[in-house]
This record gives sequence, C-alpha cells and structure tokens, in this order.
Amino acid sequence: MFMILVIVVSISTLYFVIPAVSDAAEEPKTFLTHTGLAIQTTGDIIDPIGYTGELLEFDPESYLRDFDYGTVSELEDGTILREFTITARDDQVMEVSPGVFYNVWTFNGTVPGPTIRATEGDLVRVHFSNEGSKSHTMHFHGIHKAEMDGVFENVGPGGKFIYEFFAEPVGLHLYHCHVHPVEEHIAHGLYGAYIVDPKEGRAQADELVFVLNGLDTDFDGENNFYGANTVPFYYQHHPVEISTNELIRAYVVNILEFDPVNNFHLHGTLFHHYPAGTDTVPAGFNDMLTMSQGEREILEFEYKYPGLYMFHAHNTEFSEKGWVGSFLAKDTNKNISDEI
Amino acid sequence: MAEISNYKIVLSAIGPLMLLAIVIAFLMGPGTSFLEFGLVLPDIHIEQIDFVDGEIQAIVRNTGPIDVNITVADVNDRIQPAAIEPDNHLTKFETALVRIPYDWNEGQPYSIGLTTDDGTRFEKSVDAASLKLEVNAELIGYLGLIGFLIGIVPIMIGLLWFSFIQKLGSNKYRFFLAFTVGLLLFLAFDAIEEASEISQNHLSEIFNGQLLIVTVTILSFLILFAIGNSLIRKSQFSKISKPLAISLMIAVGIGFHNFGEGLAVGAAIALGQVALSTFLIVGFAIHNTTEGFAIAAPMARTKAMILRLICLGLIAGTPAIFGTWVGGFSFSPFSTVVFLSIGAGAIFQVVVSIIQYIREESENTLSNTSIILGIGLGLVVMYLTSIFI
Repeated sequence: MFMILVIVVSISTLYFVIPAVSDAAEEPKTFLTHTGLAIQTTGDIIDPIGYTGELLEFDPESYLRDFDYGTVSELEDGTILREFTITARDDQVMEVSPGVFYNVWTFNGTVPGPTIRATEGDLVRVHFSNEGSKSHTMHFHGIHKAEMDGVFENVGPGGKFIYEFFAEPVGLHLYHCHVHPVEEHIAHGLYGAYIVDPKEGRAQADELVFVLNGLDTDFDGENNFYGANTVPFYYQHHPVEISTNELIRAYVVNILEFDPVNNFHLHGTLFHHYPAGTDTVPAGFNDMLTMSQGEREILEFEYKYPGLYMFHAHNTEFSEKGWVGSFLAKDTNKNISDEI
Repeated sequence: MAEISNYKIVLSAIGPLMLLAIVIAFLMGPGTSFLEFGLVLPDIHIEQIDFVDGEIQAIVRNTGPIDVNITVADVNDRIQPAAIEPDNHLTKFETALVRIPYDWNEGQPYSIGLTTDDGTRFEKSVDAASLKLEVNAELIGYLGLIGFLIGIVPIMIGLLWFSFIQKLGSNKYRFFLAFTVGLLLFLAFDAIEEASEISQNHLSEIFNGQLLIVTVTILSFLILFAIGNSLIRKSQFSKISKPLAISLMIAVGIGFHNFGEGLAVGAAIALGQVALSTFLIVGFAIHNTTEGFAIAAPMARTKAMILRLICLGLIAGTPAIFGTWVGGFSFSPFSTVVFLSIGAGAIFQVVVSIIQYIREESENTLSNTSIILGIGLGLVVMYLTSIFI
C-alpha cells in the first residue's frame, strides 16, 4: 500500500516539476535588440518595439493624415452643411499591440474615431447611432447649445441622435463619449479629434494627427501601454515620413486616462505651439509640451537636416511602454537634384 | 468458491469507479456543453528569475485552466524585447524560458513582468540581482565546506555529550531523553514553517502548497514509521541494539532536516544574500549542536562505540552538504518544500520512537516531572537558538 502511494506521489511530482517537453529545437537564430544586445535563440521573439510582423487591424499610418470632412452640401442661405455618420460599438476585440487582444469601444470601428474636420461657420450635423450594448453619447468640445452637449441625453443601445451645431471656435478640439463612468468609456476608446479650420485657411503644410492615449488592458487603473494613435511603438517601427524644409503641422490631442499629465518631446528641431489652436500667435517656441487630460495643441515645425528624429513622451515611463516614434525627414531637394 | 468471491470483490471495487467515470464523461466529455458557462481567466506564474551575463532569464509556467500566449516582457514595468523558448504558446502546466537581453546592475532590485494575450500583466520581484552561480570546482568546494560546517561539525561536537549522558542516573537520563523530544518537536515545526514560507513566496497557487506540506509530512511519517518499527523488531534478533536502532532513525530524520537547512543556505548564497547566509550559517551551526545531543541520548545506555557514533553523525550531517549544492545550483521551490516536509515527517516519527522508548524505560508512564520538564526545556532551548537564524 505504501509502495503504491510512493509511486503515485513520485509520478505526480515528476509531472509537476519537470517541464512539459516541447518540440525539438530548431536552428538558433540571432536576435539583435535595438540597444545592441544580441542573443542566440531557438524560440520565439516577442518584440513590440522592433516589430516586423504583419500590420494590425488598426493602421496608425493611414489614420495620421486621414481627415473626415463629411458629406458636403450647401444650405439656401449659403451655409455649408457637413453631415457625418458615426456609429458607436462596444463589442470589438482588437489586436492593439502584437499578440495582445483588448475589448475596444469605438466610434466607426477605430480607436481613435475619425478626425472630424470642418471650417468655421459650417453647420455640422452628426447622425449618431449606438449599436453597442451600453449607453453612449458624443460630447464635442466647442461652442454649441446645451442640448447638443452629449451629456444629459444618453443614447441607449439601438438608439439614435442627431447632433447639430455650427463649427466654432477655430481650433483643435475633441469629442468623446460622456456616459458615466466616463473614465471607463474613454479608456476603452470612445474619442477622436475635431478640427475647426479658419475661414481663410492655414498656411500650406503636411498635416498630421496625434491622439495621445493609453491602454489599461488588465483593468487595474494603470495603463499597460501608451501610444500616439493607439498602437504602442507603431511610429518607432514605422517612422513617419516627412520632408525637410516643409512646414509640418501636428494636431496633438491628449486623451490619456489614469495619468494626470502627458507630454510631447521633439528631437532635432523646435516647434511653435498654439494651445487648442485657437490663437494665431504661438504660445511658445519649444521642444517640450506638457498637457493634461483633454488638452490639445497645434504644433508647427520644420526639419532643417534630413535623418531619423525621435518624438516621444519625455516621461520615459510612457515612452518605454509605447509612446515613442520617429520622424524620417527626407531631403526632397537633394532627391530632385539626384534625379537630374 | 474462493475464486468467485475474489471476482465479486474486484467487481464491487471497480463498479463505483466506472460509475464515476461515466459521470465525469457526462460533465466534461466531448460534445457536452454542460460546464461551458462563466469566465475562464488565464493565469501564469513566474517561478524563477536568473541573472546571467547581459541577460535576465525568467521561467514561467501556465498555471491557469486555458492555453496562453506570452506577448510582452518587461523589466521594472518598462517593455523590453525578449526571446521565449521553446515558443510563446504555453499549454496548461507548460513552462517556458523568457530571455530578456538587459544590462542589469548587481545588487539592484528588479521586477519582471509578463503580459498574456488578453493584456493581463503578471509580475515577480527580486530583492537584489546577482549573477547566477555556475557549477565549478571552486564553488562546489566552497558550498561543500559550508555544508560541512553547518551539518557535520556541530553534530560531531554535540555527540561529545555522549559521555556526559552516560554518567547520568535513570531519572536524569529520562530528563535528557525528553529534552531530545523537545528539541526534535521544535525542529519539525521549524521545518513546516520554513516549507510554508517558501510555498507562499515562491510556489504557484496551483500546487496547493499548504496541503502539499501536510500530505508529504504525513506520508513521510507513515513510511518511516513502518521502516523504523521493522528495524526495531529486527534489532531483537540481531546485533543491532534497540537504542542504536532509535539513534539511527533519529540520525536519518535529522539528515532529511539538514538537507532542508542546506537548501536554505545554498539558496541564500545563490541569491546573493550574503548577510542572510552568514546569519543562517552561524545560526544553523549553533542550532545543530543540539542535534548531536539528540542522536547521542538514546545510545547512552549502551557501550560507547566511537565509530558507530561517527557514522550516525555523518548520516545526520552529510545531507547538509548535498543541500547546499542543490540549493546553490538549482533551487526549486517545489522540491525544497517536499524535502522540508519529508524532514518534518521523519522527525515526528523519531519523536514517537523516543517517546515509546521513554515509556519502556519508565514503566509506561509519561507523567513524570523530569519528562515534562525535559520536553519543555528542549523546546525553549531550540527557540532561543533559533533567534540566531
């Protein structure tokens, strides 16, 4: 009897203590990290920073320069009407970082939602429908009537609402769901940028949108990942291509939850920045910008020299958890002269 | 006739098992959706962290009910690229080695985090990073010497009390036998406490650490009880005297215990906890002198045979050397808990043997003042020496 017990115990001990045997080792491959350390491995490489695999479902590359001007028509009095159709959902599970799946709540299927863009004085009409399982709204920053504020008029599951207001004031604003608990609705991804252009327009520039956000994938009230336009490290492994001596205008919106302060640091040049983009006089000339939740700034800068320049949160915790990227400034003049 | 009744017995034994199998098949078998409700959450456990040249290595085990993929590795909550061998997919109970290239700093605390495919981060911390010990002659010698110093030397010193015990009258002798019982009882509880501490800090919950200790302790007690009894029974027909048989069992029990002590010291050295390991070494050395006494006590009524005493001392002390090697080179929380529990069970068995012996020596009574005083004093002495650890 004792012998049987001993045998059972020893077999179960072996089962637990000796790791499960896996497939035979293959050819070792060299894994070189971006900090210059190299190891030989036969296993898998998990590297969200130097990711080279297939693109994820959400493409921060196209989001960067994608502006939704709406369906344009002209009213009898000459006012431009811009109509947008926005659908909220809360059932999508998206690969937010390579291999990491998270339940995102979305406007039109993406985090951030589409960048809504109008000109000062346009009539903006948003046909909002809620296809989620919870109540959602669209709360726009800007000047509008109280009943268009998207706070007290919860839109229940299956519900619809039409938000209508004139685009004012000029500047960079945002929209987000304002249903309680707001933190939860924002943290899951219900937000986007809203730009009101001045009637006379702005100087010609290469325009980019950066929505600074984070992902609390294990719901402990702390962000596991940080990013510009959701996917951590995306612009690190896919640098943003720009040209030297060309005006770059970056629309930077901070919608980060849980951390009270976020910031933006630019390498190799300095920018003029315009808080909320409402004024024509820059608030400063700097390479650092500190923003609290809901704050946004328009940045204008140029690169003098070609090359790879980082931009990232100078709060390095954020940058080492994904909020880091690079501009690849190409010398366009030189290229032209090369071709000649 | 006899064959038929055997057949019936087998059937009556297997019948309920077969019914149970049918119930399990109904609950969990293919095609049933009976238990498919509720949430299943992944769970992984980082079992070990090693620091090697330019690299931090973590061994992770899938302790949850479902398969997981490891997707992100981090050091101090900062994401780092890493390699994972054999691959990043872990089936239930499977382990993998995560290798994070990292220029770590000696003596600095680190926490290593791993994130699963559902975005949940799991973490384990190390108080102070130190280079993983590599097996070489010098280190084997060093750890062996430490094992020798905490195991064999103090026990041999303790055995020198033999001639003192020999000169005692029967009442005083009973006192010292009871004193030994007190010492051993303390050691057994000490081992259990150590084991539960390790299981709480290092063993994943899935192993049910506390119940593992209970199970192994009782099993070890039962097995050694059976062996001990047959040894004592045989002693009636052979040259081995009964006191020698008891001393031998005490030495074996203490041997298991010292293996556990060696593990603790070796692991402390491997983890670079120099201050702690110095304390452990001095503490165990003082503590273990009393073990020599415990071995010597039952033998004191027989003729002094130096060679036998030395042999018993070696049986009890040598495992400490093996313990420091195992603890230093391949510390495994699971096997440490198992060995400590075996030690506890072994000591309980020895306690029972000595109590039986005392009863025979003192006409079947234990309510003798010297016996009660002896046990109590033994516990107190051990408690006081344990403060050094």
